[in-house]
Amino acid sequence: MSPVSNDLELELKHLIIDTLELEDVTPDDIDRDEPLFVEGLGLDSIDALELGLALQKTYGIKLDADSEESRHHFADLKSLAALVEARRVK
Amino acid sequence: MSSSTDIPRHWARIQESGSVAGMRIMVWIRRHLGRLPFRVMLGLVIVYYYLCQSLPRRASREYLQRIWPLHAGHLPRWRAWLGLKHFMAFGQSLMDKVDAWSGVPLDVRLAPEDRACLDRAIRSGRGGLMLVSHVGNLEICSAMSDTRDDFHVTQLMHTRNSRKFNQLLDRSTRRRGPEIVEVTEITPATALGLAERIDAGGFVVIAADRIPIDEQGRVRPLEFLGATALFPEGPFWLAALLRCPIYTLSCLREGGSHRVEFRPFDDTSTLRRADRDAWREAAMQRYVAWLTDQCRRYPLQWFNFFPFWQTDDRYAS
Repeated sequence: MSPVSNDLELELKHLIIDTLELEDVTPDDIDRDEPLFVEGLGLDSIDALELGLALQKTYGIKLDADSEESRHHFADLKSLAALVEARRVK
Repeated sequence: MSSSTDIPRHWARIQESGSVAGMRIMVWIRRHLGRLPFRVMLGLVIVYYYLCQSLPRRASREYLQRIWPLHAGHLPRWRAWLGLKHFMAFGQSLMDKVDAWSGVPLDVRLAPEDRACLDRAIRSGRGGLMLVSHVGNLEICSAMSDTRDDFHVTQLMHTRNSRKFNQLLDRSTRRRGPEIVEVTEITPATALGLAERIDAGGFVVIAADRIPIDEQGRVRPLEFLGATALFPEGPFWLAALLRCPIYTLSCLREGGSHRVEFRPFDDTSTLRRADRDAWREAAMQRYVAWLTDQCRRYPLQWFNFFPFWQTDDRYAS
């Protein structure tokens, strides 16, 4: 994995923590392969929506919330970073 | 009076009276024969409607009983006459709707305070969410967005009832209206779409006085004009999630002109997640207070002609 990607992943970790106000979580606690929702960080669908809104605002990514594809993008940090890298416009 | 269960109580199941054909005839009369014949026809239609439609008539009567003491300091004295005037006001609003979209110049007035607030809101470039109600005539506000290039409005609307009328207007007026997003419920997809518009500096209009079509939707019982009524939580969830400035917007008929009121309501951009539940509760109370004030000042422009108050014990406070 390129260093750019690692920077982006760290940036995303901060985005997740800030957006969802996860006060007891540090970037190190988020594993790039661990599921973000339900199991890993235990986020729910409102959290997912909120994260989607933050991604849209920060990176200008257009998301289709109802698609199966989006669910895949939100699976873990790795996929999220891949999504941002591929679709960011700012 | 019996309140049998086979009477549809939810606003969305109460069919708008009149067929598309009937409405097309009315629009045709307005456009080709002018204002006076249209007024006469509309008057006849409204009287017919008042006499033959018992459900809206009863709903109107209940509302007038509740609002009149607040507006006039006493109960309605000539109930049938007042009820008819209430229906006439609704007919007038339909006529204004047709006029607004036919490009008839409208006398729209903003008080200096409202104008300043609107200018500030547009200039800030931050967009926002505008809470509205079914008091007054929103189409006039929407028509305003037509006259300003920097004022982009997206209207969030429940499907079904209004669609028929709007399709008709589209066909017969050929004017660009506000963008309308139809929703039966507010989904993540809706929220993402709206956030995008607001990020681009646009404004989203949402009515917060009608409960979702899907009865599983979140509602909250609140005290309104002396009894418990259900209000939708959706608009306030959305307001919290979108993290943007929130305004109230209304357009009220005052004599021959239209008074637009645009006021700041709140700003959720720094609202903490932990405070959201408390915010929503307080915001809904404030919305109801705003709605009460609108009704008190313009009692006949309340256009919710369905049983608004709860008779269900589950929600009795």
